[in-house]
Amino acid sequence: MKKPFKIDFNIALLIILVALIAVIGIRNPNFVHYNYVMAVVVKNIMELGMMALPMTLIVITGGIDLSVGSIMIFAAISGGLVSASHGEAAGVLVTIAIGLLCGLLNGFVVAKLKISALITTLATFFLFRGIARGITAGDSVYSYKFSTAMGNTEVGGAPLALFFYIACAVVFTLLLSKTALGRSLYAIGLNQDAARYSGLKVDSILIWIYVLSGVVCSLCAFFYLGRFTSVKYDVANSMNLTVVTIIVLGGTSILGGVGDMRGTIIATFIIAVLKSGLTVMNIPIDIQTIIQGIVLIISLIVYSILGERAKQKKILEVMRDGGPRLAEE
Amino acid sequence: MGETNLTRADGRKAAFRKLLSTEFYLLLFLVAILVVMRVAAPGFYSMNVIMTVLNYFSYLLIAAIGMNLIILTSNIDVAAGAIISVVAIVIAFVGKTGAPIGVFMPVGMLTGFLLSLINGLFITRLKIPAIVATLATTQLFIGFLPLVVEGSIYDLPATFTWLSFKAKLFGFLPASVIFAAVITVGFMLFMRYSQFSKKIYAVGNNQHAATLSGINVNKVMVAAFMIAGPLYGIAGTIIATAGQRVTTTMANGFEFSIIAAVVLGGTSISGGSGRIIGTVLGALILSIISPAMNYIGLSSDWSDAVMGAIILLAVIVSSVSQLTKKKGTIAEVTT
Repeated sequence: MKKPFKIDFNIALLIILVALIAVIGIRNPNFVHYNYVMAVVVKNIMELGMMALPMTLIVITGGIDLSVGSIMIFAAISGGLVSASHGEAAGVLVTIAIGLLCGLLNGFVVAKLKISALITTLATFFLFRGIARGITAGDSVYSYKFSTAMGNTEVGGAPLALFFYIACAVVFTLLLSKTALGRSLYAIGLNQDAARYSGLKVDSILIWIYVLSGVVCSLCAFFYLGRFTSVKYDVANSMNLTVVTIIVLGGTSILGGVGDMRGTIIATFIIAVLKSGLTVMNIPIDIQTIIQGIVLIISLIVYSILGERAKQKKILEVMRDGGPRLAEE
Repeated sequence: MGETNLTRADGRKAAFRKLLSTEFYLLLFLVAILVVMRVAAPGFYSMNVIMTVLNYFSYLLIAAIGMNLIILTSNIDVAAGAIISVVAIVIAFVGKTGAPIGVFMPVGMLTGFLLSLINGLFITRLKIPAIVATLATTQLFIGFLPLVVEGSIYDLPATFTWLSFKAKLFGFLPASVIFAAVITVGFMLFMRYSQFSKKIYAVGNNQHAATLSGINVNKVMVAAFMIAGPLYGIAGTIIATAGQRVTTTMANGFEFSIIAAVVLGGTSISGGSGRIIGTVLGALILSIISPAMNYIGLSSDWSDAVMGAIILLAVIVSSVSQLTKKKGTIAEVTT
């Protein structure tokens, strides 16, 4: 019963993706050209796509991370400043350390102090972006060699970021669907107290996934800074909401307990194709925003009709055999 | 908290205890800032600075009161900034036609009302979590604006800016401050005495219990959005009329400041607990920080960081005091 239902979601998303590519490709053949796909469609979505992976884990536990864009910018700016004064290696280390510490702060506050993730990460959204603004006095920070290489290297015409993305996507998909940790995320999302009483180390699991999110933001910081050669504190303000859009479009319930990494990955490319495809078709950016909103609304409506059933099934599954069997799809 | 079924004496006691927790500390913090400013930077107390702070405070507070109602019902509205942007453009359109002074505020309120109603219906009819529902409508509202307006509407007539430049009580007190004061007092009375406000708290505390006790949960939630909408409209009108040019992105991102004011004011994001007075203090603290930092010689570039740190500290302090009070239970439900 559950298998055809579950597969339908992702297949439906895939069909939408293929249909979008086909429609845009027919209207404008240049769009499906390999170089264009790699240099525009793929390259522009990599940071958002990478952030969406760990955030899917967070959303499955019933949390959210609104601070992702701020962490990325904070890490990129700190790295840029430090590399200018103390050299490349220090810059790289600082970039990674910042992401790790920011994630740790989020995770600690959410898990140990029991403050809702929405509030915590809303506050740290201001905090991290604000520190980035403070230390630069609002000025731009420039890229350094390592970051430039990360952002602009191409392998066989494909941006380096794509390979990192694929690696991350595989790791996170396996993490969610094949490991005990993955299963425990669903348990936490469905009922945190029940998960705690059944012996899961809820606090440390939560801290870990926020740290993961922070570290992935650090990774994105290299690509982003390299790609744009200079960044200001306020360039990533709406990134968090786009990442949430991707995750929700991918079928992960914002209420937690229901979700799937494959959906997130397909949704990432739907948003990528929408963003760049509509540009190719000379559709103004504002209509693109509307279309993106409409796509989100339609998917929300579909999920809200089917979601209730999915959640019930998921609960039954967890009750029956101790964990959802996403692995078997 | 159980404001619905307490007797009046209990209610007063509970209110007093609550006053001692969040609002009291906020007030202390506010007084501390004001004293420090008195000592460190007397220039801060010039008429000019006070009026600037008050103006920002008034429209932040008006919008935050609306947001407070929505959050009390355990929803959230991330479309507030987008709605205010739309309101600003709509009344600028009207202003360009040379419409009389009295038209702008009602048009703004109506626009806010309609857009917020869409959000409310969307959330309740389709049972979509408020954060994603309003995220989706944000994209619609923001995307729609530039289609009708190219960048900005400018050279607006004096009738348009009348509200911000000319409408002053006793020649110095801006109209926005009067609006904020009237609305605040009105809503304090409303929350204190009306039957309906009890329903708002009941719905926020426990939806199922509210349903079982005969409250139409959906109606209450939509009503919260319907009340918030016109308040956004008033805030939008004040923001828009502050200049002769209205841009399409005027208030994008403002929702974060509004939510921050509400949360800083001690309203629980899971609903059911929080008071208008807290929101007033939260909004006031947020409005003072940036200019205050400027006057003690800190660059205002640090204001975002300080704001984030204050919000984080405020929720941590209130959560930790809860955790120690009732060890072992989930603290998320209460403040």
